[in-house]
Amino acid sequence: MNPLKNLSVIRKLVQIAAFALLVYGSSLGAYHLADKLTHALPALSCAFDHNGSDICALIPVQHQLGHRLGPVITSGGDILMGLMPTLITLGTFLFFFIFLNKAFCGWICPLGTFQEFMYMLGQKLGLQPTENVDQKIVRKGRPIKWFMLLFLIFVFPLLSGVGFVNHDLMDPFCKICPSRFITTLANGDASQLHVDTASTTTIVLTVIADFLFGLVIVLSLTVRQPFCRICPILALNAVFRKLGLLRLIKNASSRCDKCGLCAKACPMDIEEIHTEMEKKNVLFEDCTLCGRCVEFCPEQDVLQMKYTVIPVFSADPKYFKDRNKAQKKWEKNNLMAKLGNNRKPAGDSPA
Amino acid sequence: MKTLTVTAGLVLIAVMSNTMAAAEKPAIEKQAKQTSKVKQTQQMQHRRRAKQFALAGAEGATITLWKPDLTKIPLEQKHLMHGTITLPPSGLDNYHAIVAEKDWGDVKESVIRYEYLRGKPSKNSPTILSAAQKTEFEIVPDPIPRGHFQYHTDLEWNFITRFKGKPVPNLPVVFETTNGSRIETKSDNDGNVTITIPTDFPDMVPGKRDRRSADFMLSAEYKDSGINYQSALSGEYRVSRMNWRSVGWGSFVMVIGMVAGGFIGRSRKNKRT
Ligand code: SF4
Ligand code: SF4
Repeated sequence: MNPLKNLSVIRKLVQIAAFALLVYGSSLGAYHLADKLTHALPALSCAFDHNGSDICALIPVQHQLGHRLGPVITSGGDILMGLMPTLITLGTFLFFFIFLNKAFCGWICPLGTFQEFMYMLGQKLGLQPTENVDQKIVRKGRPIKWFMLLFLIFVFPLLSGVGFVNHDLMDPFCKICPSRFITTLANGDASQLHVDTASTTTIVLTVIADFLFGLVIVLSLTVRQPFCRICPILALNAVFRKLGLLRLIKNASSRCDKCGLCAKACPMDIEEIHTEMEKKNVLFEDCTLCGRCVEFCPEQDVLQMKYTVIPVFSADPKYFKDRNKAQKKWEKNNLMAKLGNNRKPAGDSPA
Repeated sequence: MKTLTVTAGLVLIAVMSNTMAAAEKPAIEKQAKQTSKVKQTQQMQHRRRAKQFALAGAEGATITLWKPDLTKIPLEQKHLMHGTITLPPSGLDNYHAIVAEKDWGDVKESVIRYEYLRGKPSKNSPTILSAAQKTEFEIVPDPIPRGHFQYHTDLEWNFITRFKGKPVPNLPVVFETTNGSRIETKSDNDGNVTITIPTDFPDMVPGKRDRRSADFMLSAEYKDSGINYQSALSGEYRVSRMNWRSVGWGSFVMVIGMVAGGFIGRSRKNKRT
């Protein structure tokens, strides 16, 4: 298969370019990159990265709730005025989000990219199990991202702002976010990988952060997108997903019942992409709009990525055949196989 | 604590109380002590009050507040009481520059300080403010520290010496702090100055969070066409957070996380086989 016709290859190239821009952008000398592009990116680009060219929407929201709304509430001021900066951030977030929808996760996010490349490394080492993550675990884990969004982004920063909890809980998500480590380490700065002994809260949060980071590094060798599954941006993006111009559409066919290759290909283990037979809009809350389900659907136009009403990528039997072959070839060529371990090739080739 | 004996005649540092009189340089020292004490309370109050600065040698100085969009507010007598400048609201959010200048004919003195003021979002980059020529000879932060990157001890910070918009190479500069440190260095061939702010706060306890801050002045002198230009950049710095953070322990905990990730990955693989 011509790699430039392979959607996954195209996506990897976009991810590498986005990673370079977001993680090293401000060192390119253009001042608007140093000033950060949107200040409300719908993906985890970190404010602790000296050379970063943007910051995710979560950091300003936490600070604005804690530093602006909190004091307004305690002093009995105008709540709307206190809320205004947060509304401006969410408005900016929405403005950019509309163009790419949840593809900010599947195509742009530096942490998403890191996890995908770690998984590819795992594939090359021959480490992956052939089964997807157990659906029971997937379903049980789904509410975590909503708790992360609600408590770490909204509740604790606000409680900290009104003085109910201590100041160290003003930006609790930033304190545990793995993107802080990835983006700073990518710039040769290891200072974020610390245990902070300022208070009990900071000790607990930084220990969780360091542990989580280690867990994500090794887990992503064998599990696709482990952090994404609990990421608050995934939840925030899910709230607005109906407003995005890029959509995932299913025109279910009777053969879908037996197939299920789309769900097997999905890095987020969204089984519903296979089982949903009624709804046309199949952009589920965990979807990152990576397009793998469309790539691995063998039925003409059953799954489609559409920009408004225009199909930009549709399921196609010929594409499927070539793509599946390319995937098998990629997976076969791994270290374990070379060492003579003759078990079934590791990887996530669905068919 | 030593007195600031900077090259520039004008000295500008942060204060919180407008009852402080600071018309003379030695008084700055006293203020610095009080300032570090009140700063902890100041943080708790989220800096909602108007910002105030002590300007020593203020008599006859022209003081201007540069807004992020490069428009200017001349500061008048009502903003300057007993050597203390109270910044008026500018209506714009973002970094502003306080520029104090004195023209003695054959000597021109100036001091500049960049401060964040709250207001409506400004669409202008702080880079535009630092790039603009605010006085003939000036020392410019490169870049203006912002967001998470404020001046802290133990880290390197860059500045540029500039005359009429052009870098001044190989110029002696003096870095002084209200905690008494003094560093003498030179700008390089491109006019760049790199300073590592020393950890000079007294009575620091290792491993314990320290929220104190102090002020620094970076000053230099430049002669052109018979005029002696003296300029200083003033700013605030804080104790390095690495004094209560351990990268060693952080790495250790990360390794435990990695081992846990390995176990989970292995148990999934075993299930398959
Ligand atoms: S869900 Fe994954 S890709 Fe999306 S913002 Fe979070 S870490 Fe990034
Ligand atoms: S449902 Fe499809 S587009 Fe969404 S994450 Fe899964 S494979 Fe990617």
